[in-house]
Amino acid sequence: MIEARGLTKVYGDKTAVAGVNFTVDAGRVTGFLGPNGAGKSTTMRMIMGLDRPTSGTVTVNGTPFARHAAPLRDVGALLDAKAVHTSRSAYNHLLAMAATHSIPKKRVHDVIEMTGLADVAKKKVGGFSLGMGQRLGIAAALLGDPQTVILDEPVNGLDPEGVVWVRNLVKYLASEGRTVFLSSHLMSEMAVTADHLIVIGRGRIIADAPIQEIITGKGQIRTRVRTDQPDQLMHLLAGDGVSVELQENELLEVTGLDPRRIARAALESHIMIYELTPLQASLEEAYMELTKDEVEYHSLITAGAAAPVQSGGN
Amino acid sequence: MSSTTLDPSRRGAHAGTGGAPAGGMSGTSTGPGPSFFRVLNSEFIKFRTLLSTLILLGCTVLVVVGFGALSAWGTGQFSEAAATDPQAAAAFAAQGGDLAVGVPTSGIAFAQLILGSLGVLLMSSEFTTGMARSTFAAVPKRIPAYAAKLLVVMVTAFVLTAASVYLAGLVSLPILDNYNLNLDLASSQSVKMLLVNSLYVAAVAAIGMALGSLIRNSAGGIMSLVGLFFVAPIAFQLIPGDFFVEARKYLPGNTVEPMTAVQHVPDTLEAWQAAMVLGAWVVIPVVLAAVLLKKRDV
Repeated sequence: MIEARGLTKVYGDKTAVAGVNFTVDAGRVTGFLGPNGAGKSTTMRMIMGLDRPTSGTVTVNGTPFARHAAPLRDVGALLDAKAVHTSRSAYNHLLAMAATHSIPKKRVHDVIEMTGLADVAKKKVGGFSLGMGQRLGIAAALLGDPQTVILDEPVNGLDPEGVVWVRNLVKYLASEGRTVFLSSHLMSEMAVTADHLIVIGRGRIIADAPIQEIITGKGQIRTRVRTDQPDQLMHLLAGDGVSVELQENELLEVTGLDPRRIARAALESHIMIYELTPLQASLEEAYMELTKDEVEYHSLITAGAAAPVQSGGN
Repeated sequence: MSSTTLDPSRRGAHAGTGGAPAGGMSGTSTGPGPSFFRVLNSEFIKFRTLLSTLILLGCTVLVVVGFGALSAWGTGQFSEAAATDPQAAAAFAAQGGDLAVGVPTSGIAFAQLILGSLGVLLMSSEFTTGMARSTFAAVPKRIPAYAAKLLVVMVTAFVLTAASVYLAGLVSLPILDNYNLNLDLASSQSVKMLLVNSLYVAAVAAIGMALGSLIRNSAGGIMSLVGLFFVAPIAFQLIPGDFFVEARKYLPGNTVEPMTAVQHVPDTLEAWQAAMVLGAWVVIPVVLAAVLLKKRDV
């Protein structure tokens, strides 16, 4: 379990993390989601005792990381795929890390095997692709067989097969009762990997809830309706708390009414509808909604709102 | 996004197999943590698994032995000239007559530059490559890792310098013999020269490591080291004024001669003073670097 209380980090006149409180529980995958520069990596470095908090505390299983008797056996972290001397081989890097905790060579071979690095383990890390660097970082994180695993942007640079592998790995680790804390700026990845989500923007926690709650909690029910008589249906459905928008010729988007009531209203007035699709806000939309004021680097060209994802249809 | 270049035949082995990748994991974590001996072992593994380190060590041996041989030849030429040229004879006599004893250590200036730079690099590269995050995540108390690295660097510098100097002496013997010059590698002055110079190079390596830790940048660290050991002595000589003449004696590079002198040379430090000065040059940056390493973010 990871617990942050009033955790703050100030660099000069810039506040990277502004007094955050959160708890990462064991036995589930907790995603740490936020735009670039939101304070994810800084928070993770503070958990690992690499950056000193300006104020506040963060503990792992009740103890600050630096006071653990066998840190690598309790907490494994991938903080940066490049946390390796580029002129050393992957095997020797892991061997040197393992030596600090008398972790046997067999375990070094095991993590190399399980991260798929066996063929390149004796090669210099400097020649590794980003994806291989990530695998080495994950191998290093797993070296001490830790109860708590912290991964900062683990799928960055991985090929699709590697992405699936990481997804399955973290789910498996959580199913074993481990604490898994995973950061990403990719909402789509979080949607399929995390059970619980902590959303951070400009150093502040803006949401901390089960992932399903974040997706459904924000938006209202929306339904897409196609009909021959859009004007009549619009008139019929309009009411308190209900908004109807004509999107195309025969396409309406209804907010605030569930599909059953739309269908009933249409049936009673003998209006034929030929499509009725419940729309669910995607995590992407929920995330955009949550972080729209918190993004540090706005794009100059504002992209249109993310396209809604069909949940029921087809 | 796809960028791994793993052998495609292996890919299936870890694709989509939920439980398989983490095979071998078990239960809760108990086991030994980072004791000083384990951290020392880790730092030694890190030290010997870098090709660049091994190349620098090899260069040190070559340079010290090479300069020893060259110096033996030059010294022989000089003594031959002294036999026929009264002016050279006077100069020879002024040197105390025993030039051969300094032959094995004649490459020390270069050994200190190489091993001092190695000291800088071993620490600065931790920060420039990001390795420091791995190192200090494994040893979050930080000081044990720093002390272990310091020990590895200093012991290596001492042993390597001592071995190279002895080897340089062995290589010089037949050359000096050719000119009827005598060198006894077991004489107390030879042993003193070897030990003091080896300790001195170990001290320079320690100063280099402290600079690497303070500056966290390879070029900056090496330039500082060169500035302290090569530029400052010359600059202090050129700047007029008694202050710089006096201050020059306290530069770390000028502490070896007083420590190895057969008898005290006027207007230089006493041997014990020189030892204290060199000690201070080591202890102050090393302690400062340790304090800041503990305090600063990695």
